[in-house]
Amino acid sequence: MKRKRAGLAFASPGLLVLVAVVAFPLGYALFLSFTRYSFIQPNYDFVGLNRYLEAIKEFYFRNSVLTSVFYVLTTVILSLCLGFILALLLYQKVPLKGFHYFAMSLPMLIAPVGVGLIWKMILHPELGILSYLFGRCDFLGDPRYALFTLAFVDVWQQTSFVALVFLAGLRSLPKEPFEAALVDGASFWQILRYVTIPLLTPIIAVLLIYQTVVEIKTYDLVYVLTKGGPGVSTDLISYYIYRRAFLGLDLSGASAMAYILLFFSLILVFLYYRKLLKS
Amino acid sequence: MKMKKMLGAVLGILVMWGVCQAQQIVLRVLMEDIPETWIIEELLPLFEKETGIRVEFEKMTYIGMHDKLVAQLLAPVNAYDLMQVDFIWAGEFPAAGWLEPLEPYVQRSGFDLSPYLPSMLDLVGYYQGKLYMIPMYSYTMALIYRTDLLNRPDLQEKYKALYGRPLMVPETLEEYVNICKFMTEYAGIPGAAMQGMRGDPNFLEFANYLFAVGGDFVDENWNVILNSPEGRKALELYVENITKAAPVGALNFTLDDTYRIMCQGGAWSFISYWWMLPNLQDCPNVAGKLAIAPVPGGSGVNGGWGWAIPWNSPHKEEAWKFISWVESKEIVRLRALRGHAPTRIDILEDPEILAKYPFYKDVLPIIAKAKKVPIFAYTAEMEDVVGREISLACTGAKTIEQAIADAAKGLEALLKKAGLLR
Repeated sequence: MKRKRAGLAFASPGLLVLVAVVAFPLGYALFLSFTRYSFIQPNYDFVGLNRYLEAIKEFYFRNSVLTSVFYVLTTVILSLCLGFILALLLYQKVPLKGFHYFAMSLPMLIAPVGVGLIWKMILHPELGILSYLFGRCDFLGDPRYALFTLAFVDVWQQTSFVALVFLAGLRSLPKEPFEAALVDGASFWQILRYVTIPLLTPIIAVLLIYQTVVEIKTYDLVYVLTKGGPGVSTDLISYYIYRRAFLGLDLSGASAMAYILLFFSLILVFLYYRKLLKS
Repeated sequence: MKMKKMLGAVLGILVMWGVCQAQQIVLRVLMEDIPETWIIEELLPLFEKETGIRVEFEKMTYIGMHDKLVAQLLAPVNAYDLMQVDFIWAGEFPAAGWLEPLEPYVQRSGFDLSPYLPSMLDLVGYYQGKLYMIPMYSYTMALIYRTDLLNRPDLQEKYKALYGRPLMVPETLEEYVNICKFMTEYAGIPGAAMQGMRGDPNFLEFANYLFAVGGDFVDENWNVILNSPEGRKALELYVENITKAAPVGALNFTLDDTYRIMCQGGAWSFISYWWMLPNLQDCPNVAGKLAIAPVPGGSGVNGGWGWAIPWNSPHKEEAWKFISWVESKEIVRLRALRGHAPTRIDILEDPEILAKYPFYKDVLPIIAKAKKVPIFAYTAEMEDVVGREISLACTGAKTIEQAIADAAKGLEALLKKAGLLR
């Protein structure tokens, strides 16, 4: 009992900070989502679930959810696959390993806004290097390609982090199963399929959860590169919510949308957890 | 002993310096990082010498300014003592009660409002009859075009042969779009560098087209009149120009992109902010080959920034002192001689300034005749909603009729939210 109290006493400063910086904003946003509070008319009249129902009824909100689902699937799958391949390559004996590590880590170290600006100039149809080399290509101004281009830029940045985590995972794996597989005459693909990937499952699960959350929150790249256009082709949900709060000045509506997003994110994380980590 | 004395002296100096610093008032201002700001910054030592008040500019790009200002305006005490307000926020900020009414300051100090262009005072001065801002600079939109291409004999001949009329500065929007398509086909460069990115860029550009064909967003009673034959015609011509006579990628272009393209000589014309003209004269490819004209049809979109004092400013009187100094005739003249975009008639007609910038004689009627887009609490959201529909029409995802109808519906909902419509 005494030990328990002491533990609580030691943990309480940290817990208090956590309540102040996490629980309070979350609680306040939840409270706002049941009101009609806006910057122009700041009142806290209770409206129940109306803001949630209004959000669900909004065509363009539903559209942004669907666009985000497609975007998250594309970026998470691509960054995990590419990151895994990069990690496998760097796990082998290759010359100039230090340089490769350095080059691979660079995208991760640049702020997303910086990444957006760099790629904006590279992809510029009139002034960009790609257009100079291969002729005019409209990567961001054509609704057919804009979302894929955005996903490509995102994957370019995220892959380095994924590769580093995979690399750390590969290095921490026990040697014995690999040696046993080699003795049994297993091929490279068989080792990959039946030894490496199963042993890396916890790492894959953590990366899936982390990358999904990161991609759902994508906002900076849309802000810098497309502003949600052309049309609504890159209108991702985080950017939609931001506009509701700061252009529409509707904090309560934005809070309701953010909670819908949080709800779906939690379900996804829960499913990943159940399927991968528990197994 | 010697060491102790030295330490004492250093400490004494530090304390004195601290006291001096504490006594001096420092005005903090969030400013857009553009030439207009740099010009004023150069003159700040004059203000400090005159008043003893130091002014610090925190500069940033336009895209982040609104969010930063809103966060400060919601706080009990603002980190900025005064601010510059874009006309897009000139309805939102006063409607939210975030700006200090300036009439008492004007009356107390005898500040003269009469030299200001009425169109500028209407845009970034008054909101619902009350003065909240003092016009700072103008960015009314106009047509900027290449005279070398317009006067090229082979192009003139070809145009006359094709259309039976001379190639000259367009007076109607249809003629403008026609010349843009002609230039794309026969001059070898796109006719119009267009800012088609969804939101603020394409909304403002489209508004010029709308005004050019005699249309508008709302009537004097805030009834939405966008879904009209004029509205549909404006959008039809806008879509035609951006799909047939604009550079590749124009659907994602902003003001910066169009400037760079014009600077490199990559297009015949653009409908943009008039202050682009002096800036473009620094580009070797087009210097001396550019001219300015009103948006075909007569009126362009009026744009500008105003000075304002936030309700929660810690130094309101000092902020007003700065506004009345920076907007005094003497300082505005100094600013204008360095390239500032004036909002005062006396400066636009000043012989010395006209000698340096002769095109100001063309600019004065452009600003005077300019029309404003609806300025109300949700102007920024209106740009987003209407801009989305324009962009959808340009991509072909919606028909002209559907896009205009949906844009009008969205605008109506915002006016109802603002309490301007029942």
